[in-house]
Amino acid sequence: MIQLVDLNAQYNTIREEITGAIQSVIERSTFVGGDELLEFEREFAGYCGVANCVGVGNGTDALYLVLRALGIGAGDEVITVAHTFIATSEAISMTGARPVFVEIKPNTMLMDPDYLEAAITSRTKAIVPVHLYGQPCEMDAIMEVARRHGLKVIEDGAQAHGAKWRGQRVGSIGDAASFSFYPGKNLGAYGDAGAVVSEDQDLIERVRMLANHGSVNKYTHKMEGVNSRLDGLQAAILRVKLRYLDEWNQSRRRHADFYLESLAGSEIRPPSVHKDALPVWHLFVVRVSDRESFQKKLSDQGIATGIHYPVPLHLQPAYEYLEIPVGRLPVTEKAAAEVVSLPMYPELTNEQLETIVNAITTAKLLSPASR
Amino acid sequence: MFTIPQCSPRANYLIHKEEIDRAIARVLESGSYILGDEVEAFEKEFAAEVGVSHAIGVANGTDALQLALRASGVGSGDLVITVSHTAVATVAAIELTGAAPIFADIDPVTYTLEPNTLDGIVKNAPAGRIKAIVPVHLYGHAANMAAILDFAKTHGLMVVEDCAQAHGATFQGRKTGSFGTLASFSFYPTKNLGAIGDGGMVVTNDPDLAQRVRLLREYGWQERYVSYFSGTNSRLDEIQASILRIKLKYLDQENCRRQSIAAKYDKALSGTGLSLPQTASGATHAYHQYVIRTDNRDGLRDYLARHGVGTLIHYPVPVHLQPAYVQDPPALLPETEAISTKILSLPMYPELTDAEIDIVCEHIGAWNG
Repeated sequence: MIQLVDLNAQYNTIREEITGAIQSVIERSTFVGGDELLEFEREFAGYCGVANCVGVGNGTDALYLVLRALGIGAGDEVITVAHTFIATSEAISMTGARPVFVEIKPNTMLMDPDYLEAAITSRTKAIVPVHLYGQPCEMDAIMEVARRHGLKVIEDGAQAHGAKWRGQRVGSIGDAASFSFYPGKNLGAYGDAGAVVSEDQDLIERVRMLANHGSVNKYTHKMEGVNSRLDGLQAAILRVKLRYLDEWNQSRRRHADFYLESLAGSEIRPPSVHKDALPVWHLFVVRVSDRESFQKKLSDQGIATGIHYPVPLHLQPAYEYLEIPVGRLPVTEKAAAEVVSLPMYPELTNEQLETIVNAITTAKLLSPASR
Repeated sequence: MFTIPQCSPRANYLIHKEEIDRAIARVLESGSYILGDEVEAFEKEFAAEVGVSHAIGVANGTDALQLALRASGVGSGDLVITVSHTAVATVAAIELTGAAPIFADIDPVTYTLEPNTLDGIVKNAPAGRIKAIVPVHLYGHAANMAAILDFAKTHGLMVVEDCAQAHGATFQGRKTGSFGTLASFSFYPTKNLGAIGDGGMVVTNDPDLAQRVRLLREYGWQERYVSYFSGTNSRLDEIQASILRIKLKYLDQENCRRQSIAAKYDKALSGTGLSLPQTASGATHAYHQYVIRTDNRDGLRDYLARHGVGTLIHYPVPVHLQPAYVQDPPALLPETEAISTKILSLPMYPELTDAEIDIVCEHIGAWNG
């Protein structure tokens, strides 16, 4: 069986270092906060190319807390996409603000900047571009619209640790960015974890305060916050993994190149990459019209696939109150009906990749012209 | 650093080191780190320990109380009665639902919600807006649940217990957490049952409420990727669950040790003029904290610190006097305010040795406060 993601394969390559890191945290017993967390925050900020970072409980909280720290709440609107994981819009809803969904580009499936202008109202406070699947959004166009309208840009980097737009790391382009370190991410902890990065030190300090019950010092609470902290244990694990992130992303790009080459011109439509983008391939998502039978055929040959994501956010039962009818976001809805994620993780072997591509071919899933 | 710290999660880790290290390795090898077998097993074991049917692991104690309240329908515009003499998390959780707290004063003997204040609160509040009472079993001592449940029943209010400091404490023979419609627990590292990171739990006997908390903790998902209502992300990590499963086996034993430490303090400190903790009839104290009172609290705290003995104050500023929580008009809580300048938490953790207890008591005896 070839899994969609194999976390064991990665753990086996760094087992000793992880064990050592965990032991060092336990021996010092700084389980909440502590040096490992501060060091990780410093190192991850450096990796993203920004000055400041604060660790929080998970990626949803990261986006929620940075929006709150920017003063966004009830009565405000935040523009994002419906073709993303629900955490993006949920973080917006948690602040009391209303998510506004814009269309994606048909080729990259990322936020289409051309739709932003029309979505902006007097209540709009921010834009949240999502670097989905490890591909950076078209940040120049997005930043240009945001600046012209005085809007904040918060990058959702949950799936794109290390990706670059015109040579610049995601997370360093907008006013701030949120990251998730869910175990399956390119940079993943062994539990839930997240972070906010920004050049703006005041903003990061406000997030830090909000994430720790609004406390400025122990037992004195200046504002009402939440409890959302990155465990010292997970910080120590993430420090080990951060050292390998570029190498792992390089492997993902190698695998993606193989897929792209093998599937070129076939009816299994491989993803497009913008010429200014350096993706990190959190997921490798192809599009097929007969998705169910495609998945079944691969599964019969021992190859796992996934769907990210089957129900666009505007059509989720939880967002019925937004009253967005089916058909309002046709590009998004078409993508949701066609996307299939193929196995993608750094430790995939050439042999496994051959097996996957051969399975697609022998099942006559490729048109004869393409092979 | 103190020769004798006020608490020591590290000492507890060292006692269970072999088992904990094995558990961590097992989880790391499993490749399953979020909501897997360990969380499920721990939920079953913890529910059995409390004596309820359902337990749902979440990210921390604040979220546990918030999600318990949200699951039971508490939200914007509602009022929730609780105490000001508690960790700010209790009140933060209430406000995170959109509801507002009404502060009740405490019984200065048990430091928990004074049931006699409830009637006046309800009479003075806008009709129908109070939805729930959140009694806090502070320091490991149960609130007077008989009187609170009785009052709640008469007035149609829900009771959600805050058990963050009371793992294993009992009242009239039942474990705290088994009285309310729901209850919340924290597994912050210093708790009687503590993880090595943040963790929390909601417990209830009601299957529908349990299901609702399960949805709330993970994006409102009924099935993967389909959200039925707006939830959040608040999950107990597998690693922490695996550690808590081990520590749960020793909870009763470690609570017994806490009680025996308290008994030694009681004996050695009687006659020093300090007010010592008391246990109400019908209650067993889990001694999360051993809290004494003295008029010259800061003097004693400084003196002990100079002699290498760590102490803490739980809590120096009552919540209703915190900048973020000041109400207009301000709540009048004379007992809460009176004790806040006098209370002091002495060293208390199961691994504290008899010799260390003696040293603490000798220093207190030698202090000329």
